[in-house]
Order: sequence, then structure tokens, then C-alpha cells
Amino acid sequence: MNESDAQFALEMQELREKFAIEAIEKIADLETAILVLENNPNDKEKINSLFGAMHSLKGSGGMFGYNKISEFTHDLETIYDYVRKDRIKINTELLDISLEAIDHLKFLLRMGDTLDTQSETKHQSKTAKVKEWAGKKLADAQIEHPIAEPVHKSEEPNTNQLSTSTYFISFKPHENIFDNGTKALYLIDELFALGEAFAIPHFENIPALEKINPQLCYTWWEIFLATDESQGTIADVFIFVEDESKIYIHKIADDNLLEYDAFAHYLKQLREANELADLKDLKKIIDALPVKEIPAIPEIAATVKIEHDLTEDEIIITPTTEPTVSGNIQAEAGKMKLPATAAETTIASIRVSSEKIDILMNLVSEMVTIQARLWMYAEKKNDLELIAISENVQKLSKQLRDNAFSISLIPISSILTRFQRLVRDLSATLGKKVKFVIEGQGTELDKTIIERITDPLLHIIRNSLDHGIESPELRKQIGKPEEGTILFRAYYSGSNIHIEVKDDGAGIDKNRILKKAIQNKLINEDDKLSEAQILNLIFAPGFSTAVQVSDVSGRGVGMDVVNKKISEIRGEVVIRSELGKGTSITIILPLTLSIIDGMQVMIGKTCYIIPTSAVHKIYSIKHIQIQKAFDNVIVIDGRQIPYIYLREQFNDHQAIPEKQEVLVVKYENREVGLIIDKVIGEFQTVLKPLGQHYKNQEFVSGGTILGDGSVALVLDTNKIISRFSKENKSKEENI
Amino acid sequence: MDKTKTILVVDDSEPIRQAVSYMLRSKGINVLQGEDGNDALRHFNGTPIHLLITDLHMPNMDGIGLIKEVRKMEDYSRIPILVLTTESQVSMKMEARQAGATGWIVKPFESEKLIAIIRKVLR
Repeated sequence: MNESDAQFALEMQELREKFAIEAIEKIADLETAILVLENNPNDKEKINSLFGAMHSLKGSGGMFGYNKISEFTHDLETIYDYVRKDRIKINTELLDISLEAIDHLKFLLRMGDTLDTQSETKHQSKTAKVKEWAGKKLADAQIEHPIAEPVHKSEEPNTNQLSTSTYFISFKPHENIFDNGTKALYLIDELFALGEAFAIPHFENIPALEKINPQLCYTWWEIFLATDESQGTIADVFIFVEDESKIYIHKIADDNLLEYDAFAHYLKQLREANELADLKDLKKIIDALPVKEIPAIPEIAATVKIEHDLTEDEIIITPTTEPTVSGNIQAEAGKMKLPATAAETTIASIRVSSEKIDILMNLVSEMVTIQARLWMYAEKKNDLELIAISENVQKLSKQLRDNAFSISLIPISSILTRFQRLVRDLSATLGKKVKFVIEGQGTELDKTIIERITDPLLHIIRNSLDHGIESPELRKQIGKPEEGTILFRAYYSGSNIHIEVKDDGAGIDKNRILKKAIQNKLINEDDKLSEAQILNLIFAPGFSTAVQVSDVSGRGVGMDVVNKKISEIRGEVVIRSELGKGTSITIILPLTLSIIDGMQVMIGKTCYIIPTSAVHKIYSIKHIQIQKAFDNVIVIDGRQIPYIYLREQFNDHQAIPEKQEVLVVKYENREVGLIIDKVIGEFQTVLKPLGQHYKNQEFVSGGTILGDGSVALVLDTNKIISRFSKENKSKEENI
Repeated sequence: MDKTKTILVVDDSEPIRQAVSYMLRSKGINVLQGEDGNDALRHFNGTPIHLLITDLHMPNMDGIGLIKEVRKMEDYSRIPILVLTTESQVSMKMEARQAGATGWIVKPFESEKLIAIIRKVLR
């Protein structure tokens, strides 16, 4: 392998990887399209995009060494070509096969062309299945609608063409041949490249000079070609022009006639006299030569329309379509200038690797930190000009931050296909009828969040299907429509995103949960719990309500794992349920993960950050009010608000200031006060993970670096409240 | 092949576009790229383009639409145009021919085959 070959191989390898990425997207598009067609089988646009994606996979697959993908897609493409032309109707059987095929495509993309025995067997059986179905359906379709399209010729060499033969070729280009960029002379050249040739050009059609239209082709040729190549190869020379031009290829001898002086002499005479070759004269000359017999009817490719001449067994290729378009183009040529829009066309979107976005986000984060430092320094120096600059930098960095964030936002629709697929496949397995309704699929989320909610959502939907929606028979009995509904809804609410999965199924039996929780010693028998608290028990580790662990939900992952995963990204899960009517599970998530607007607060001498989005109101109070307060409730603005005294909870015993502040935060539809010493100000804060060792702590979402370079902890108000209110409660009980 | 030739390669699949471009560039041909019909049109601004190679299935403007546009342009109406296709699409070939394509290249292809086909329409 020389250097340029090695370079080429390297380049192709890189493109192969790109193809693989693109193919994943194409396959995902296929899946989405199939699921849309299930509900709307006449969606022409989807059918076309489906066909397009298959077509592209097939073409590109072969280019980049995924021959198995290419072969496998071939039959699918044919099927959907028929669907596109309304020759095959879309039905469940086809959609099932298509989805199975899509799964197999994913498999092939992972495995590549080299399969082990087991995979190969799988591949064979999948291919056979599609082929069989295609064969059956296409045969039916062809009976109903005879196919006009001829089968394309194979490029197999003609095996009885081992020695040199001489062909007579007549090539009469259509006079508009130049219109589609064809260069007739190149074709003659190509014939000359096939062997020894003698060409007789005919100019008799060229009109008088003043009548010549330079855009038309008047010349035609007669060529005698002695070649080892098959007649198919000769026909291939004319492959692009065979429809509009008169092409006549006829084998005249199984020998190289051009080597015979008598024959060469005859041809020269013809050319000088500009006469047409007369096949009868030719025959006489050939008969006089010591050459082999000519085969009776020469073979020619199957694509061309064959006409037998009355006198000779010759073949004429005639146009099957009239090239009317060329004429129109000619009429319009010159009239049309370059469209003005063409030069101004801009690219609406570009593709950027997620790695690059991560780098950008990191840089923005760093900048936010440095900016905070600049601000602090400017304040300290009390340099007015520096303060002004710092404020401008702050404005810009905020805009930059928001822009950088919006880049990494992707619509939730990008993961919906998996859910649709799950509902479709699982409801079939369970024998249930389920309609999956999607609302707000354009809602955008940070890509890191999307990656991390997919599994929890799959689990929630699986639960809904398995335990929520009842069997059609039961639903009918209790007066519900046979078909159950699972609503998937995504929407913004304040600085949060809500993703709700709601079913109209059986709902959650609270008594059963209580019984189970008591059984598992999660609660005591005489505990009094609110409805919400009972429902929240299903998030407790090790809790599983399914009477029998089924194949579907019982995979060792319970709702506790869902809850944990959502907590990891600072989200929460809210569950509502009404027995007999259905269950709704809502995941509430922050808009972004890495940079938040934070409020810097002091508790003792320690600095903490509380997300601004969580804080509802801030009140100033006197410490004495807390000392006087009873049962951890203070009265603010005439309302009683339960509070958590963070100083006490954090065991901070520094001197207590006379005045303190209460941050009123929302917690599960209630207001809770968090008492701190002092609010310093609001900052953009870059949230950094605390690292492996602090992963299990409960109320800190991360750390951040302050302007002066010191580290502050970012508090998670929801977790603080849920944890300390429990602690307080148990303390009270102990008293 | 003449080294001063410029070929415009249009395909919405980036890997395909790059592969074809690479095959051509390694033969010393100057290559321009377009990611769909609409995007390709920006190159027809007076720059010499000796051959257009285009895919058929593309968003925004498909190959047929692009061919029709190009054939309407005074400066480019006679350039050879090859479409990228797969062998099953006989009807597409016909449609492309009618729109004014010079010929087609059947996918998949290797460098040698690509060059051989280009030689049919460009020297």
C-alpha cells in the first residue's frame, strides 16, 4: 500500500464512522416515521421520508462497507417504493415487520459486516422474513398493477465472448442530445477504447450554414468495432443516451474483420464516398472472407426495447420516451438568469459534536467564575471605572451563558420514539389496547438532562402499561373505553420543566401500599400519613407493589431508582393517583444543570448558595422572634409559616446576630421559611460536582467557587426541608 | 483527467459527499460541495463548474429540482450532470433524464468506477 492509498483508507475509515453516526439518526427517523404511519397510514410525507431514509441507508451502506445493511435495506426499500406508489397498503403486519427490520438494522450497524455464526443465522432469518413478505406482497401487487419498469440488466459478462468479434454500430444521437450535457464524441472515443475501431461520420443532415442551430446535433456515426468485450459492454457505452438516440449494435463476425485488407478497403471506400454501410454488401464481403459464422440473433441487454427488422436480424434501440423536456428547456434557456436567492442561500443549521458544546459550556462556566472575581475586586478597590467595566462584562457573560445554554437544548421529541415504541410493543405483549398521546413535544431540555431522564421515563411508562391500564375486557366491564390512554406531556413552569405521564388506568390502591409498607417495616401500623405521604411510599427503597413480579416491570428497578436518578439531576418526582381513575407521575426538573442563578447567604461565618429560583420571598426578622416562636412556626405578614433554623441544623455556634433573614421557599404547595443570617447578593453560580466521596450526602447539590476563590456549598432546599422536617418530627415524638 | 476541472458534489449525506469529494480530489479535481439542492445553487455564481454530481433524495430541493434549475441557467445549461442513484430506481433514472441529467452513477461505487463514469461526460 503506498502513501496515498493509506491516506485514502484512513479518510474512508473516518467517513465510515461519520456514516455510522448518520445511520443511527436515519434509523431513528425510520422508527419515528413508522410509528406515525401506524396512526396515520396515509401520511404521504412520512412515507416519502421513510423511503428516502431507506434509500439513503442502502446507497451509503454499501459505500462504507456496511454491505449487509445495504442488502437488507434493499427489499424494504422495494416494499416502500410500492407503498409510495399506492401499490401496497400499509397494515399492521407491514409495520410489525418494518419495526423488526429496524431493530435488525440497529444490530447490523453495531456489528458491521463480519458476523459470528449466531449473528449470521439471525441475519439470515431476518433477511428471509422480509424477503418472503416482500416476495408475496410484491407478487400480489404486480398482478394488480403490472409493472412497466423493466428489470435492469445485469452486468455479467457474456461468457461465450472470449475471442474477438466485430460489431457494426450505428449511433444516431437525438438532435437535442447536447441539452442534457451529453458529449457524443466522448461516446465514440469510449468505443475506440474498447478495441480496434473504424468510424464513418455522417454529415448529410447538417443544413446550410445560415440554418444551423449550434445547439442541435446533426452528425451521426457508423462504427465498426473489433473487440473482446461483450455486446453488453458496448451497449453500456450508450447507457445514458439509449432512450433518446437510435442505437443499433449488431455483431457481424466472430473475428476481427478490420484485420482483413478487403474489409478495410471496403470501409475506406465507404468513408470517402460518405455512403451508408449496406448490410447486404457487408454480408457478401464477409462471406468471401474466411471467417467464422455469425450467430443468428445477437444478444442485447434486457432494458432496451428490441425491434426486429424485416429484412435482417438486427436490433434497433429506439426511444421509449419523447424528450419533450429538452425542448422546453431550450426555449427557456437564456431567459432565466441565476436566481437571486441562490447566492443568498444560507445554511439554517449546522451539526456540532456534543463534545464541542460541552467544551463551550465549560468555558462559559469558567468565565462566569472569573467575572465574579473581577466584580469583587472592583468593589474592593472601589474603582468606579473598573466597576462599570465589570458590570458590562457581567451583562455580556449572562447573555453568553443564556446563548450557550440554548445551543445545548434539544426538543424532548428526540427521545419520544423510544417511548412510542415501548407502548406499542408492550401493549401488544400484554394484550392491552393503549393510545399514547403526546403533548408539548417541542419542549426543549438540556441534552444532559434528556440523557438522564430517558430510563426513568421508560420505567414510569412501563409501570403505567403493566399496572395502570387494565385489560380491555375489564375496562369494558367497568364502563371505561376499551382503549386506555397514556398522556405524555412536557411543559415549562417557571424555571422548571414538568414532564408528566398520566394514565386513565386503575390508579394506586392506597390501602395496598399501606399494607405493603407495614409488611416491609417502612412505617408503623399506627402511623398517620397524608395521601401524598402514602403515595410517596412507593419511592421508598425496596418497595414493590406488583403482587407478582412480572416480566415487564419486575426488573429489579423500582420507583426508588427512578426517584434517585431524578434527584441526581436536582429534579423531583410528584405522584398523584385516584383509585379507579388513573395515575399521574410528574418529573419536575431544573432548566439547566451546570450554571444557576444563586443567592449567596451567610450562616455564621460560612457562605452558602441557595438557588434563586427556589426563593419566593425574603423577610428580615429579629432573632428574638425565633426564640419566642412555638413549634417552629413564625408569623410573617399575618401568615403562619413553618421554618427551619439552618444555624441550628448545621450546628453553627458563632455569635448570633440580632437581625436575621427568612427565605420563604415553596415546598410541595406549601411555604416553608429557611432562616439564615444574611443575604449577601445574587450571583451566577457554576455548579460543580463534589466528587465521589460526597456523593451520598443529602442536602447539598454541589459546590461552587466564589469570586474570591473560596468554595461555597450549593444547598438543595427541597431536600433540606424534607430531611429536617422529618428530623424535627421524630425529635418531637421522642420528647 | 484535466486537472483544472471543477466538479460540484451535492448530497445531503455528509459521508457520501466527503467520500465522493475525496475520490475526486485525489485525482487532482477541484471539488465544490452542496448539502442539498438549495445549498448547491449558491455555487452557480459564475464560478466555472464542469460537472455536477447530485443525489436525488434531498431535503429543501431534491436532485430533480436542482437539475431543472441548472438547466435553466444560461451559463450552466449545458454542463454534464450525473445523478447518484441505486440500481432499483429505474423510474428515478428516467425522471432524472427527462429533467436533463446526463447520466447516473449507481451506488455503491468505488473510486475507479466513479472516474470511469465521469470520463463518459467530462474530459
